[in-house]
Amino acid sequence: MTERKDWWKWLLGLWILAVVWAAFFYAPTARGFKGESARIVFFHVPQAWVAVLAFCVNLVASLRYLRRHDALDDARAAAAARLGLVFCILATVTGSLFAHVMWNSFWNWDPREISIAILLLVYAAYFALREAIADEERRASLSAAYAVLAFVTMPFLVFVVPRIYFSLHPDTIINTKGSMDMESRMFQVLMASLMGFTGLFVWLYTLDVRAARIALARRRRQED
Amino acid sequence: MPAQESLFWVAAVTGVIWVGVFVYLVKLDRRIRRIEEGE
Amino acid sequence: MRASSLLSEGLAVLRKEITSELRSRVALNAIVLFAVTTLVTVAYQIGPYRIHEDDRPHLLSALLWIILFFAAMSGLSRVFVKEEDARTGKTLRLAARPGAVLLGKLLFNLMLTLALETVVVPLYCGLMGLAVRSPGGLALLLLGGGVALSASATIVAAIIARASGSGTLFTILSVPLILPLLVILIQGTGAAVTADGLSPVLPALRAIVSLAGVTLVASFYLFPVVWND
Repeated sequence: MTERKDWWKWLLGLWILAVVWAAFFYAPTARGFKGESARIVFFHVPQAWVAVLAFCVNLVASLRYLRRHDALDDARAAAAARLGLVFCILATVTGSLFAHVMWNSFWNWDPREISIAILLLVYAAYFALREAIADEERRASLSAAYAVLAFVTMPFLVFVVPRIYFSLHPDTIINTKGSMDMESRMFQVLMASLMGFTGLFVWLYTLDVRAARIALARRRRQED
Repeated sequence: MPAQESLFWVAAVTGVIWVGVFVYLVKLDRRIRRIEEGE
Repeated sequence: MRASSLLSEGLAVLRKEITSELRSRVALNAIVLFAVTTLVTVAYQIGPYRIHEDDRPHLLSALLWIILFFAAMSGLSRVFVKEEDARTGKTLRLAARPGAVLLGKLLFNLMLTLALETVVVPLYCGLMGLAVRSPGGLALLLLGGGVALSASATIVAAIIARASGSGTLFTILSVPLILPLLVILIQGTGAAVTADGLSPVLPALRAIVSLAGVTLVASFYLFPVVWND
């Protein structure tokens, strides 16, 4: 990692370190929450955001695969799904910890908990499908098809179901009235953390894709 | 433990986790770059 | 012209499905046996009086959809797997366009689902003493739910027919796609049980119709890839 274009990775390292400091000492204690528990929001929300972002990247890569049948697009889709799974688990764990502190229960089938649990199930099903197919091209096109199918049904879960049910979950960043009521320093930290986590996702994703590209090139050379 | 002190420790653990992840990623990035240049 | 010929081709596939199903009756037997077994178990163990009056609408509609969902799951996956088992897939690929194949299989699964619902729902209402205050609303929910359920099940069946270990994989892949639908259906059925008229059912119905539409559009877009890979 000696190239000049890698400076942003070092910046990212410092940036997230600063976010960690700011999350605990710069942001004020949130009112209406038990103790300092609300600080977990600075990590929980970006993780959930990355899980959703990865889901979208997975969709784009899958659609591109269906159009061009390039093995690298399949690798892109798989990389995004892997990261999505990891961040989805992280968001579930941090959310569950917060629920335990606030409501004394790790899991209470809140609509948002259901939607993240189903996102987890989608990722798990996606990898179960990939495991079950030995032929590479078939694996790529079938998992791409499943990814598209899962993507079009997700909005119903995220937007329709929580509206039918009552939710304990604190308002998302922009609440139903379309206004933001968050203390400005907290908002700054949250935005900084969102940027940091997005950068981290980009780094992890490009690493995975680069490794996949090397593996593909090697396999092609062996076949020749 | 006073609240301020426990907050400090939580922050420290979070920071250490991130530094660990970061160092791992930098090493991984270097390894991949070496292979890319070798190919 | 093209649309109508696609329709007639799809109906031809449907006729072929019905003929072959009447010969073996694998899917029908699986679905009916599963539904009757669970229905009898639930009715015998819970019956009309075990659940408190206030909890009845919600719990009974949840139980109803659990029975319908798993009974449907046990039979709907056969529709593509059987082509792979009998090695008739190649012939079908030559004989009909992908769109027509999907249409025929989809209609066949829809028939199975609706048949399942017409048998199970009246029996369930009778055995559990469930009085539905909006039968029209319930009928619409069953129809819309049947379409959405068979649409998801058919495309997933097409995907898993090309992968190994199809049986378990079918449920694993279907659950995340169908769970939102089930949640909405259970809510809607609870509303149809407790309130008169169609208006309480409408929000659920609207969500179900759009979910079914989205699934159908995605299915017809994706199916050629899945079928001809």
